[in-house]
Amino acid sequence: MTALLEARGLSRRYGGVHALRDLTVTQHRGEALGMIGPNGSGKSSFVNAVTGNIRLDTGSVIFDGTVISGRPPHVAMRAGLTRGYQAVRVFATRPVADNLILAGLPHHSDADRLLHDADVADILAWLDLAPLLERLAGALTLFEQRRLELAMRLLAKPKLIMLDEPVGGLSPVEVRAMMVLLRELRARCDIFIIEHTMHVIRALADRVIVMVGGEKIADAPPEEVLRDRRVIEQYLGVSDA
Amino acid sequence: MSRPWPLLAGSLALCIGLPLALAGAPFAAYIVTGAFLQLLFAAGMNLLSGYTGITPLSFAGITGISAYLCVGLVMRAGWSFWAAWPVATLVAAFVGVLLGLPALRLRGFYFVLSSLVVQTVLTLAFTAFASLTNGDTGISQIPPPSSPFVAGGTLGGTGLDLLIALVGWAGVVISWRLAGSGFGRRLVAVREDPELAETLGVDVVFCKLAAFFISSLYAAAGGPLMAVFVGFISPRSFDLLASLNIWLMVAFGGQGSIAGPLIGTLILAPLPSFLLGYYQVKDIIYGLLIITVTVAMPGGIHGWISNRMRPRLP
Repeated sequence: MTALLEARGLSRRYGGVHALRDLTVTQHRGEALGMIGPNGSGKSSFVNAVTGNIRLDTGSVIFDGTVISGRPPHVAMRAGLTRGYQAVRVFATRPVADNLILAGLPHHSDADRLLHDADVADILAWLDLAPLLERLAGALTLFEQRRLELAMRLLAKPKLIMLDEPVGGLSPVEVRAMMVLLRELRARCDIFIIEHTMHVIRALADRVIVMVGGEKIADAPPEEVLRDRRVIEQYLGVSDA
Repeated sequence: MSRPWPLLAGSLALCIGLPLALAGAPFAAYIVTGAFLQLLFAAGMNLLSGYTGITPLSFAGITGISAYLCVGLVMRAGWSFWAAWPVATLVAAFVGVLLGLPALRLRGFYFVLSSLVVQTVLTLAFTAFASLTNGDTGISQIPPPSSPFVAGGTLGGTGLDLLIALVGWAGVVISWRLAGSGFGRRLVAVREDPELAETLGVDVVFCKLAAFFISSLYAAAGGPLMAVFVGFISPRSFDLLASLNIWLMVAFGGQGSIAGPLIGTLILAPLPSFLLGYYQVKDIIYGLLIITVTVAMPGGIHGWISNRMRPRLP
């Protein structure tokens, strides 16, 4: 397997707080990578740093052969790297159709025919968005908004999509439906998932990185990570076993 | 719009026909041509404030830079208007981009404030550099452009009215083409959520600067036209109130649509001419309108109408 994403020695400090401390992460092609850790452990900072949403103090990011560290987010995007947000992010005051058109702009020359494109229709059918096209994005349920967010990102035909707690805030029924979608998503592009619930990561990720205080304390398949004493102590709490 | 040609041809015919029909009525022609000039400004302001979500209160200042520069080149350096006009326009548009740089960092209200300061400084500069601008007295007896058709003749009266009407028409048509293009939609994405737009692959910095350049071109192109049309310029022609008036025409009609600024300009541009004897009343009316628009009609007349025509959301 070759590396799709190589982030080396990422550091970012806010005053005295290390959001990221010499963090090195590699994701291979065809691999689903997960990241877990308590609140404030640097998971979202890592995604923000990779996509160029926050500036790095040190470190480099190479995505699919392109250096994207120190560049604005649209550069990462054009190299094939896209992301979702922990707090879902869509153009809330616009209808769903407008959202898709705005998202498809950099990739489709003819915006008006975008929605009739076979690839786009396929994505809309898969995410069951076709009946919602006329609705305002801000008036959708959270699950619908997450599906819309996913569709908007997929219009770019990304190679990797980084998702920040994609099942956060969903009802138990919706969580199960979302996990089915995320498993199917792997057929379309590689995924990187932040979660703080272990069972989601276990079901979706081939390998897990465990974060504490901006540092990586474990990097292994989910079953191995779960047996790691340090992980159990640091993240799951000291067990009585 | 799927078949724009009848509308384009019709509006072009109107822009040519109106000045010709009013050739014998100077006062009416003056009002109509003034409105065409405002139409150009409103279309340019709309590209920034309506489509990109950046409200530049330094807009009239750009017009002023271009007007003073062109008048200076013509009256002092002896240039032809036809050479001075494009040069002044380009220079002022680049200055407009420089003055727009704070928009890369400041959002919404904070950029409006910074542009207000820029506008104030520009107005003060127009007054302070009296050797170039003749200060508060202004520059009068600006000569009309030479005629492009008759050697030694000048382009005044109906000819100038026609030129301004055509430039105003072209300005609106170009803004309509831009708004419907991929670039125009990127601007909307930047307006709605710059960070999301970036994540979706939009080069936000480029889009903002390009929008500033194009909008400043509008502001700048109108300056020399205004100078030769009125025959007089002073710092008051390009002050904060002038910027606000242009913004008001856009916002009152409806920002972020092509019809909006058209409606706003048609209603508001002729207003001062009907209130000539009551100059202060005009500013009071404008002030009340600004309050009404911001509080009660954020979408302007166009937004208000299209809201009522659209079926209500569940």
